[in-house]
Amino acid sequence: MNSSILKLAQICTTGQINQLSTVLASQLHISAPLCRVVSGKYRITKKKDRPLTYEMANPPHFIAHRKSWNSWNTSSLKDGLRRSETAVEDEFIRRFMNGTWHGLVCSEVIIKRQFNHIRVAAIIRRAVSPMKMYFLLGYTEELLSNWIQCPVTLELQTVDSFKDVVFKYI
Amino acid sequence: MSVFIKYSKPGSLGAVFNVQVLWRFNSTTAESIRKEEDEEFRVLDILKKKDRQQKKQIRRADIQPDRADRMATDQNWGNVWPGPKTFHPSSVPLPIRQGYVPKGQAPPGKKANAELMKIPNFLHLTPPVIKTQCEAIKKYCTEWPKLLNSEETIEKHYPLEIISSDYCHASPTIRNPLARVVNLRIKLSSLNLDKRARDKFLRLIGDRYDEKTDLVTFIADRCPMRKQNLDYVNYLLTACYHESWSVEDWESEKTEEDMEYYDWNNNASKRSLVNWFLKCNNEEKELTDEEYKNFDISKIPNAEGYKNAVNSLMNDGECDATLKTYGSSVRKLLGLPEKKVT
Repeated sequence: MNSSILKLAQICTTGQINQLSTVLASQLHISAPLCRVVSGKYRITKKKDRPLTYEMANPPHFIAHRKSWNSWNTSSLKDGLRRSETAVEDEFIRRFMNGTWHGLVCSEVIIKRQFNHIRVAAIIRRAVSPMKMYFLLGYTEELLSNWIQCPVTLELQTVDSFKDVVFKYI
Repeated sequence: MSVFIKYSKPGSLGAVFNVQVLWRFNSTTAESIRKEEDEEFRVLDILKKKDRQQKKQIRRADIQPDRADRMATDQNWGNVWPGPKTFHPSSVPLPIRQGYVPKGQAPPGKKANAELMKIPNFLHLTPPVIKTQCEAIKKYCTEWPKLLNSEETIEKHYPLEIISSDYCHASPTIRNPLARVVNLRIKLSSLNLDKRARDKFLRLIGDRYDEKTDLVTFIADRCPMRKQNLDYVNYLLTACYHESWSVEDWESEKTEEDMEYYDWNNNASKRSLVNWFLKCNNEEKELTDEEYKNFDISKIPNAEGYKNAVNSLMNDGECDATLKTYGSSVRKLLGLPEKKVT
């Protein structure tokens, strides 16, 4: 494109205006827009050994078709109350869960709200002893309910290893 | 076999045993037996596949087997799943699968399936559980009054309707600003109003009256609480009702232009009809407005039909039906033949 503009300028300065129309026709063109959706999609590896969970295997435009939402609340409905607060709290809960159960959370953190009750569901790897798990459970519930000022319930499912939640390899 | 390194004193049982073993090590026959036992062909296992397979089979002792596998078939499900809860595969003895897969494959099973955990389930609301809960709260219910057995009787005895909404939403607070809105509905025919008062009432409430359903609707949302809004709509209805009954001095000044409907008796149409009738009978005389109004049209043949036709034409508006009746009534009045259907 730059070179063509330069050419155009040269032509204009040299006064060869009768050639202008042909140059424009040959040099100006419209390319396809660069709007490929990249977020929420995973690239295929050479060895086809990247593990994907069901959640990761379905890109975001399949929400409500092949997979459902990770946050369930009435704020996201039309004319819902406390939209921003709910979104920020959900993000906070997700980060807190991932940090507290470090390296143990195998799925997305699912947050369901009913009235003032928050249910947090996740799939956890059985890599620590049950005693530690019980401690972490109580710790998470207690701290989250103190911060958010709502009863918080953790509803966990445990798996042996991350391989149990793998849906496919790409 | 193992080598015993312990030496014990002669005479005891252990000593005898040890001696035998030691002897077996030394004897050629014992050695040959041992060789036969280990005769199996040993494979060089570089990748250690054998060990890997063995590792998989090891079960962890601290993990309980699934609760769903040990459930009795005649158990009370309400006790297993008493309240709303995220789906847990170990407590649900159903072979559930969920997930989208290409054609020909089986969807992911219930274990480690996040999709099943996401969707709200109604496992706590099975029909028997609902039945028992309904039985439990039945003692708080009162019987429906027997005389209020139809919609008409309810409408007759309770003409006033109050509509307000309660909102259930996920939030730390149960308040919703939309819950303050109060809607009052009443049928206009159930109010005790005469013709003049009804006209005044309709003029007072404006567009809050729906002609099709005969309903008057008051909506209040100006106060912050529902109770205040309820009081306000009641006040509005009461004030409008009593105001419509009170007659002001200036109401007598109502002229024909202010009329909300067309009254044939007061209008020029009747005047010209009466004049035409008198002329026909050769009775030329001057009449006052009152005399025109009170003139008995039953003397004029076919005048009743003409009156109704003009009234409907003016009140209901021009349309094919009203125009047709108007035309035929005029033909009857003037004694003209019926219009020929072409």
